[in-house]
Amino acid sequence: MKSKARYFIGKFIELILTLFVVSLLVFAAFSIIPGDAARIMLGPNASEAQVNLLRAQMGLDKPLIARYGSWLLGIITFNPGTSYAFNMSVSELIGQRLPVTVGMSAIAMLMVIVISYPLAVVSARKPGRLGDQICSVIGHILFAIPPYAASLLLILLAGSVFSLITVGNYVSPSDDFIGYVGCLLLPSFAIALPKIAMSFKFLRSSIIEQRTSDYVRTSKSHGLSDLKILVRHVLPNSNVSSITIISIILSDILGGSLIVEQVFNLPGLGRLLLMAIDRRDFPLLSGIVFYLAFITVILYFLSDIAASLADPRIRLK
Amino acid sequence: MHRFITKAVVTASALCLAITGLAGCTKKPDEANNNAVVGITQEPGIFDPHTVVAAGDKEILFNVYEGLFKYDYEGNLNPCLATDVEISADASVYTFTIREGVKFHDGSDLDAGDVVYSLKRAAGLLDTQDGTALVSELDPVKDVTIAADGRVEVTLESPSTELMCYFTTGIIPEGYDNCQAAPVGTGPFKFESYTPGQSVILVKNENYWQKGLPYLDKVTFKVCADMDAGLTELAAGSIDIFPYLTPDRVSQLDSAKFNVLSNGSNMVQVFALNNAVEPLNDLRVRQAINYAVNRKDIISVTMDGTSVELATAMSPAMGSYYDTSLDGTFDQDLEKAKSLMAEAGYENGFDITCTVPSNYLIHVNTAVELASELKAIGINLEIKQVDWGTWLEEVYKGRQYETTVIALTSSYAPYDVLERYQSTSDGNFINYSNSEVDKLMAQIPLTADDAERTALYHQVLGLLTADACSVYLQDPTTITAVSTRLEGYHVYPMYVQDMSQVKLAGN
Repeated sequence: MKSKARYFIGKFIELILTLFVVSLLVFAAFSIIPGDAARIMLGPNASEAQVNLLRAQMGLDKPLIARYGSWLLGIITFNPGTSYAFNMSVSELIGQRLPVTVGMSAIAMLMVIVISYPLAVVSARKPGRLGDQICSVIGHILFAIPPYAASLLLILLAGSVFSLITVGNYVSPSDDFIGYVGCLLLPSFAIALPKIAMSFKFLRSSIIEQRTSDYVRTSKSHGLSDLKILVRHVLPNSNVSSITIISIILSDILGGSLIVEQVFNLPGLGRLLLMAIDRRDFPLLSGIVFYLAFITVILYFLSDIAASLADPRIRLK
Repeated sequence: MHRFITKAVVTASALCLAITGLAGCTKKPDEANNNAVVGITQEPGIFDPHTVVAAGDKEILFNVYEGLFKYDYEGNLNPCLATDVEISADASVYTFTIREGVKFHDGSDLDAGDVVYSLKRAAGLLDTQDGTALVSELDPVKDVTIAADGRVEVTLESPSTELMCYFTTGIIPEGYDNCQAAPVGTGPFKFESYTPGQSVILVKNENYWQKGLPYLDKVTFKVCADMDAGLTELAAGSIDIFPYLTPDRVSQLDSAKFNVLSNGSNMVQVFALNNAVEPLNDLRVRQAINYAVNRKDIISVTMDGTSVELATAMSPAMGSYYDTSLDGTFDQDLEKAKSLMAEAGYENGFDITCTVPSNYLIHVNTAVELASELKAIGINLEIKQVDWGTWLEEVYKGRQYETTVIALTSSYAPYDVLERYQSTSDGNFINYSNSEVDKLMAQIPLTADDAERTALYHQVLGLLTADACSVYLQDPTTITAVSTRLEGYHVYPMYVQDMSQVKLAGN
């Protein structure tokens, strides 16, 4: 029990430290790149006086370190501040974009699980069979396609060849939920493709490994059916490693969605992030990066915890 | 059992693919709706008519706010909220008659008090302000008052004949200070909402003072990630109007579904040379570069030959202010260029960098073409792409560069176009300095006679050309695609998307 608590506390401290390092990195990167939010907003036609006026309004005339300090204070109190470029609170801006990014990630994750799991189970039944080999080859190919390339191909196929969709026609979930899911399906599929391959490959080898182990042979000799062995023994034992792999895939999907959004012209976090960089909007940029880092770190944290609960040996390592 | 699993797998996968295939049978815009969607690639940001500077914001707000005067698509300055203006003989007092029967979007009536408040606010003269003019060009305004006859009198600190075009500055209700969040003007459209990264929505002003206008009920300015994303939406029908296209992209559009309109942009694309760095501080080197460049080739590479060639710092679109005698001054002449290089001691050429903003494809392409042309006189142009924020900070403000390619302001005020060549100007990023030019520029606002003023502008242009201060390339054409379901759209030779005249085709 003590070791369990100590393990959790250790992981938690790790989490806080990671977040702090992330915030420092964003800050450091921001002080190095040239550019000024006020000037970018006003463009080259603005006079020096106009730029200075806006800088003062935005609070940009204060030294960067002071702004970092007040930002960090804000984060701790769950208030990431106000965006320079949009004059809106950062949490509100992120909130507006979340439906796209979260929806896309959720659909993509669902696709990964629904497609890769059954395929892996079937493939692993008789490794080396024609079906298994075809799956493996396709898997290798899919694994090599980056999401943005897959996006372009899908847009070409679905949009231009079959005229099935209107690319970039984002529908908000509150207006029309079916339409919302509809416009996210194709981009989600583009993100999911390589992850399907990844998860398939991993699960398949993990199942094969379990199936050839001694306890399966023993169960077989006890007369248990294939399905029972699969459901009762093989899958639970592969699960420990799939928890880790799924958390990795989930954070990959989150990252992938930022890029795919651009290709599909969807108003998600990715575009907001690029805009924040373009416009040197420090509160917004650091807010988004911090938010993404937070989700990723939390995911890993949860998966570590889950894996340690499923397999107590992990805690002892 | 295993047959069951196989079946389940096949069904699940097929289902997934099928759902994906159906992906968003999202609705296309209704043919009959009385709305229009304009694609924009610049994120809007400022909605206050006095602090707005960026072209991408101005072109939207043109529909929301109106000034005492207003430009039309031919570049004429027409009376708008003022019915006429009287300028004193020494050009130090402007007296405006205010139009009657105009209502603000909030329902209140426009009166002289609103005009006084707005102009004072723009010029930084309100008691609550520190004196910094929000519209810096209105800085010379000393006072704005209501005359005995109800007209509005604008008094200047020193005479200026060059101020008329800044009275296009938006008029807002007296005492109103919340324009950024909730714009209120007198324009043909009311501001409805702004969703960052997505859209600005304007709706019809039912009480617009110009009877019968506007035609549309709703106009959406939709933010697109870039030109190609916008084109995809245009082709799919989720955007109706898409400005600032390049000729190669236009050729991909279906001509049955889109009308392609174009007009001069009155912009000056320049291969800017930093006059303060070696070897560009040598007049002969700057002349040699001017003679080495083939403007026709640049225009054909970047704009498919559609643009107007430039010889000096002003576009011919400026009419009489432009000096036609300068045409062809720097027609390509490689022999002359080579001998000038030799004279300056650079017969073997030199290496130099060109820092271009990567977000403007036309400038990047221009730089590439320039690099290949300058090889002929031994100049090795190394292209360095930077993002817009970096360009503004390092090149424009910091002036830490050797050469760059950029397009300069689209303004109908000749003074605006040439103001930056004064040695002390904020906008003088090429570090040009000629006391003769400084003197002439100081003299222009004090000259009441139009012909005399025009002659002074010609002198300034002559000096800039003689000094070969930079390499002026082209006035790029603005090309806009408009869905055939709409008509009445005009391409302005400045940053304006005038939606008041746009209506459904056949109505």
